[in-house]
Amino acid sequence: MGNLKENQAAYYPGCALLTIDRAYNNSSKLVSKKMGIELVDIPDYNCCGIGEMKSKGAVSLYLPLRNMVIAKSEFGSKDLVMACSVCYHEFTRSIERAKEDKKLLDEVNSILKEADEEEYVPEGGARHILEFLYNEKGPDEAKKNTVKPLKGLKVAPYYGCLYSRPSMYTFTDKKQGMDNSERPHFMHEFLESIGAEVVQYGNEVQCCGGRNVVQDEETSFALCSQTLSKAKKAGADVLAVICPKCAGALDVNQPKIIEKFGKDSELPVVYLTQLMALAFGFSEKEAQFSDMISNPLEVLKEKGRFI
Amino acid sequence: MAVEHNKNSERPVAEKGEHIIARHLIDDDAIKEEKNLVIDGVDVSGRWNTFIETRVDSEFDRSFFDEIQKTVVGSRINRCWQCGMCTASCTVTPLYRRFNPRAFIYMMQLGNLKLLKKYTDVAWRCVGCYKCSQRCPKQVNPAEMMEALALLIKKYFPEEIKSNHQLTIDEEVKKIYEGMILGHGRLDLANLHTSAMRKMGKTTELMSDKDERGAIFKMMKDGRALSVLRLGKPHKWHKSKDAIDNYLRHTGTLEQEK
Repeated sequence: MGNLKENQAAYYPGCALLTIDRAYNNSSKLVSKKMGIELVDIPDYNCCGIGEMKSKGAVSLYLPLRNMVIAKSEFGSKDLVMACSVCYHEFTRSIERAKEDKKLLDEVNSILKEADEEEYVPEGGARHILEFLYNEKGPDEAKKNTVKPLKGLKVAPYYGCLYSRPSMYTFTDKKQGMDNSERPHFMHEFLESIGAEVVQYGNEVQCCGGRNVVQDEETSFALCSQTLSKAKKAGADVLAVICPKCAGALDVNQPKIIEKFGKDSELPVVYLTQLMALAFGFSEKEAQFSDMISNPLEVLKEKGRFI
Repeated sequence: MAVEHNKNSERPVAEKGEHIIARHLIDDDAIKEEKNLVIDGVDVSGRWNTFIETRVDSEFDRSFFDEIQKTVVGSRINRCWQCGMCTASCTVTPLYRRFNPRAFIYMMQLGNLKLLKKYTDVAWRCVGCYKCSQRCPKQVNPAEMMEALALLIKKYFPEEIKSNHQLTIDEEVKKIYEGMILGHGRLDLANLHTSAMRKMGKTTELMSDKDERGAIFKMMKDGRALSVLRLGKPHKWHKSKDAIDNYLRHTGTLEQEK
């Protein structure tokens, strides 16, 4: 397919973003393009394992690394950008484990060989869209592109787990330019740069139920209701997320959470990139706010007539 | 040292062993408490008069330790020095007090299957938030140690899985994930959700619950539920699948499939 141009980056969409969470996928691309980088899907991607394949030894590394091989062979790119925090975790985990354990790397490469794929050489890395945009362009660039500042909109940033944890994989705190693992702030800075007001509520890096969102609704609902009600109590109009799994737990399941824990847990959930797209002048249709189950449209209309 | 029992004191006494952290790990019989105890004339009623009898583990099994260390997820079990930072950081522990990563790792280190068996009903509840792995001072990676624990339970206590409704569901949902991820190379989320609901016996909820129906209806209407059809499979995925199956049949570790 040939190498990428200077203003392009290899992008791993992942299963959620191509289907249910298309709003996150499309708004990420819109925002990146506006800021000067075009995200190009790698061809022929496969699922990262979504945290459910960890007990399968080298297979848990094979799944993400096959995509790294494709990025290298098709685009000549060592790095791969992705928006889903679970994918990001699976990729960073596989790359780090392959780097530190030669035997494991050999096992992965022997599966790759048998599957008729090219060899994986540990180099480059996976990049989360938030970290990628922050380091490549930064909040100043976002501010420059803002034509409709979200003045008066109170946003509770929700980072969740795997964007900043564990630092043995994500290199938060460990490598220059990376976010802080216990108190991440990149999303705060982007939100401020597009004119929104950031709300502090204490559950920024708590868990939504993660791996057990499907199997263990009871636990997930309890954790999510804490996050939603705390953010609401702190005055937030919306909760901004950067992971489709968090959105599944906090947004798609929200009607059921409200049924169990009451109206305190009623709070619209949006993706950070949707808010950025709105501030950059895209319409609410282009940012696909109507895809969210928790209905952010109303509050966006009421609060600041953003749409 | 003169020890006497002050039988006249009216001081309120706590529940037996209440002050012990992770109290559930210690058998009732092993806790010795005097309601009112005076040592050298000092009344030490309260938490200072709780004693735990010395326990001897006669079933220490080192081979078990090696079995865990050979897996990808359990490779760092030797590093743990039992500080308890994982349990202190845990998302699940405050919700389920018997879920205690530190204790689970200890039981795994000792090869104490008898004790582990008592915790199969909560051991699967790890949400994978990785707070433990972030804060662990020895990089044990306790979050992944819980995956190793799941492997052990699968191998040594298949009966426990069968007899526990929630464990069975967890297994079934894992199988759905596996079928999609390894079988097709991609994950069909709408299908995953509905299949999982059926496995959980929530078929009626799927059809009648207004919230459930609302979300599904919305996604059907705006085309997202069906966009999965466009996902397709990765090119020549069958080769990957064969190579993966072949690997899993021959690992020679806990990860091996029958």
